[in-house]
Amino acid sequence: MTNSQPATFKNQTIQWWVWGLLFVIFVINVLPSGRLLAEALSDIAQAGQSSFWKVLNAPATWQATWHSFYTSMLATTLAVVLGAGLAFFIALSNIRAKSFWVFMFMLPMMIPPQVTALSWLQLMGPGSALLQLLGVAPALGSPQPLYSAWGIALLMGIQHAPLVFLSVRTSLLVLPKELIEAARLSGASQSRIMLDMVFPLCKNGILAGAAIAFVSALGNFGIPAMLGIPASYYVLPTLIYQKMADFGPLMLNEVSSLSVIVGLIAMFGVWVQHRFQAKIPLVGMPGKPLAFALGRSRIWCEAGLALIILVILVMPLMALVTSSLVPAIGVVLTMDNLSFSAYAQMLTGQGVTWRAFQNSMLLSVGAAFILACLALPLVYVVVRRPRRFYSVVLMLIDVPYALPGVVLAIACILLFAKPIPVVEISLYGSLGIILFAYLSRFLTVSLKPVHSSMMQLDVALEEAAQLCGASLTRRWRDIVFPLLAPAAFAGFLLVFLIAVNELTVSALLWSAGNETLGVLIFNLADGGETVLASAVAVSIVLMIAVLMICLSVVGRNLPKGVIPWRN
Amino acid sequence: MSFRLLSASALLASVVFSASVHADTLVLYTSQPAQDAQMTVDAFEKANPGTKVDWVRDGTTKLMTRLRAEMAAGVVKPDVLLIADSVTMEQLKQEGLLAAHKSAESGEYDPALYDKDGYYYSTKLITTGIAYNTGAKEKPVSWKDFLKPEYKNQVAMPSPLYSGAALIHLSTLTTNPDFSWKFYEDMKANGVTALTGNGSVLTAVASGTKPYGVLADYLAIREKAKGAPVEFVFPTEGVSLVTEPVAILKDSKQQELAQKFVDFVLSAEGQELVVQQGYLPARNGTKTPEGFPDRSAIKLLPFDAAKALENAEKDKEDFSKLFN
Repeated sequence: MTNSQPATFKNQTIQWWVWGLLFVIFVINVLPSGRLLAEALSDIAQAGQSSFWKVLNAPATWQATWHSFYTSMLATTLAVVLGAGLAFFIALSNIRAKSFWVFMFMLPMMIPPQVTALSWLQLMGPGSALLQLLGVAPALGSPQPLYSAWGIALLMGIQHAPLVFLSVRTSLLVLPKELIEAARLSGASQSRIMLDMVFPLCKNGILAGAAIAFVSALGNFGIPAMLGIPASYYVLPTLIYQKMADFGPLMLNEVSSLSVIVGLIAMFGVWVQHRFQAKIPLVGMPGKPLAFALGRSRIWCEAGLALIILVILVMPLMALVTSSLVPAIGVVLTMDNLSFSAYAQMLTGQGVTWRAFQNSMLLSVGAAFILACLALPLVYVVVRRPRRFYSVVLMLIDVPYALPGVVLAIACILLFAKPIPVVEISLYGSLGIILFAYLSRFLTVSLKPVHSSMMQLDVALEEAAQLCGASLTRRWRDIVFPLLAPAAFAGFLLVFLIAVNELTVSALLWSAGNETLGVLIFNLADGGETVLASAVAVSIVLMIAVLMICLSVVGRNLPKGVIPWRN
Repeated sequence: MSFRLLSASALLASVVFSASVHADTLVLYTSQPAQDAQMTVDAFEKANPGTKVDWVRDGTTKLMTRLRAEMAAGVVKPDVLLIADSVTMEQLKQEGLLAAHKSAESGEYDPALYDKDGYYYSTKLITTGIAYNTGAKEKPVSWKDFLKPEYKNQVAMPSPLYSGAALIHLSTLTTNPDFSWKFYEDMKANGVTALTGNGSVLTAVASGTKPYGVLADYLAIREKAKGAPVEFVFPTEGVSLVTEPVAILKDSKQQELAQKFVDFVLSAEGQELVVQQGYLPARNGTKTPEGFPDRSAIKLLPFDAAKALENAEKDKEDFSKLFN
C-alpha cells in the first residue's frame, strides 16, 4: 500500500492533531478494557482468595458458560442453515425482486433482540392473542415453550442468520463465473457444480459467518434476558447482569473477572472470524454475477422464500401488533374491543416513554455525529499516511464492538465509578456514561463505510490539487470531504440505527431520568405492562423499517460494500 | 493541547447532561407500576406548578441495590422513596439514611400505619392473595390448594429477591406455624415457579402460561376491570399486607419539596388518586375502590415486622437456595 503513496507524504513527523486523535481513540477504545483487566487481576496475588479463583470455582460460572455455549452452538447451526441456504437461493438463482427479499431478510437483524423476544412471546403460548384469534391457542397451563434453551437458540438463530447470509453472499458474488461455465460445457451436472465448485469456494464465507454468528449469540443479552431469566436459565451475559442487579458494586470485582472470561471467549471467536474472512477474495469479478436459471420451479422457490419470511418475520410482528391493540393481556382481540389506549398512553404527556425516546434520540444522534467527526480524519490518516502501528489501532477499535455489551458496561462502570480526576466530574449515573460507552462500542460501525470509501478514493486527485498549491485544509474541503460525505452519512445512519434501540450496554448504565428506549421496553415487559411494551415495540419496528429504507436510498450513491445489505 | 480540548469537551458534556437537573426537580424511586407512578407525579406537578419529578420504577429489592450502588459511587440520586414495604424503610431508618418529617396529615391515619418519629408513612394497603385465570379448571380458595396434585406445575409466584411484597409474604408465611418453611418446600415440590416481580406473575396468569398465581390484589382487580380473564380471591387463611410507605432521604437537597410530596401523597386528594388507581387507600374515611371487599372484611395473617427485618437477608438466601 505504501507504494501508492505520494513522496511528499512520506517521512513526515506525526502532527499534533494526529496525536490528539490517537489519544481520543485510546481513551474511548482502550482505556475501558484496560481498566477491566486491571480490576480483574488486581487481587490475583492472593491466589486462592482472588476473585478470579472464586469465579472459576463457582458452579454457577460453569453452568452459565455451558448454557452460553449450548445456546450459541444451536443458534449458530440454525443461523448457518438459514443464512447460507437463503444466500445460495438469493445470490445464485434468477428469482425476481432480489433487493426486496434481501431487505426483508435483513430486518430481523436490525430489530432489537428484546423486541424480537417480546414479539415471539406474544406469538407462542396459551395467551397468544393471534393464536386465540385463529382459535388454535394451546391449552391453559401449557408452559411458554420459548422459556427454554431451545427458545433462546431459536430466536438468536433467526436474529443472527442475516450475518451468515451477508458473509456467504459476499463470497458467492465473487465466484468466478467463467470456471463454472467451463464446468458446464464439460458436462458437469448442477449438483456436481454445487458440491465440487460453489461449496468449496464459499467455504470460508460460511465459516466466517458462523464465527460471527457465534460471537453475536455469545454476547446477546436481550433474548436470553427475556426468555432465560423467567426460567432461571442463565447464560454468561445474563449472569453478569443478574449479579450486578442483585448485589450491586459489592460484586464488581467478581463480575469483572467473569467479564474478562466472557471477553476472552468472544475475542477468540473474532480471531477465528478474521482468519476465514481474510481468505475471501475482495476483488469483484467483471460482468454479471452468477445466476442459475430455475425455470419452472422459480415460482415455487419464491413461494418458499415468502413462507420463510412469513414465519420468521411477519407472524411474530403480527402477534406484536395484535398484543398492542388488546385492552388487557389475555383478552381475545375482536373488532369491538380493539383499543388504541396503549398508543395514546405512549404518546401523551411528559411520560417516561417520551423521556426515554428523547434520551435515546440524544444519545444516538450525539454518538453518531461525534463518531462521524472522529472517523473522517482517522480514516484519512490511516489510509494516506500509513504507519505500521495503525493496523494495531484499527484492531483495537474493533475490540469494544466485539466484546459482549454487558462486559463493556462493566468496564465503563469501573472507569467512572469515581469522578474523573482533575476535572472532578462524575459521569456515573448520567447520560454521559452511556454516551461514552456508545462512542466506544460503535466507532468501528461508523469507521467501516468511510474506510472502504477512502480506500477507493484515487490519490491522484489530491496530488493534482497539491501541485496547484492547495493546502491540506483546502484539499480536505474541496476534494476529500465531499467524496467521503455520503459514506460518512451512511455510517452516521448505521450508528444511529443500532444505538437508538440499544439495550445491552444501557441495561447496566441507565439511571433515574436516563432511561433509553431499549431499557424501557425491557422494564415495561418485566413490570407486567405487556400491552404498553408491545405498543412501544411496534413503533420502534416502524422507525427501523423507515430508517433502513432511507439507508437503501442513500446507498444508491455509495460505493460497493458501504451499506452491508446492498450489492 | 489535546488534553485541554478534552477537558473542555468533558466540561461541555457535563453542562449539557446536567442541564435537565434544575432547581425544582425531585427524584423519586418507586416500585409502583409505571402507569401509577406517572399518574401520581402528574398530579403532584399539577398541584405544584414549576416543579418537575423524575422517577425510576423497579422492584423494591432491586431499587435498594441501585440505591446502595449509588451511595458507594457518591452520587445519591433520589430525594423520595415510595416503595413496597415498611420493613425496608425500617432498615433504612436504623441506618440513619432517612429524614424525619412530621406530616400534618398523620392525624387521619391509624398510628400503626406510620413511623411515630415521622420517618415513613404508609400510603396504601396492598394485600397478597391468589389470582387465577377465569378459564382455569380449579377455583382456589386456600393457600394450601397450591399443594394439591391438580395444581402441579400450574402456579407462579413473585420472587422475594425482586419484590418487597413477596419478601413480606415469605416472612409472613414462614413465621406462621401453620405454614413455616415446610410450606415453601412443598410448593417447590409441587412445581410452583418463582418468576421475577408481581408484573411477571400477572402476565403469566392472564396469558395462561401459569393459570394460578400468588399476586398483589390491585394488579388482578385492575386487569379484571379492563377485561382480562383474571379473578382474585382472598384466601381463607388470610392475606399478607404491605403498605407502600413513602420516605425522604436524609441526603436529599430538596427537603422542602420532598416534604411537599409526602404531604401530597397523604392528603385527601392524594389518597383519592390511590383509589382511582385501584388500591385500598391507607387514610381513614376514604372509600374503597370498585372490586374490593370492605376493609374490615379482609382477614390479615399475623405479621412480625421486627422478625422480618432480622431475617430478611437470610430469608432471601434460603429462598434463592430453594428455588434456583
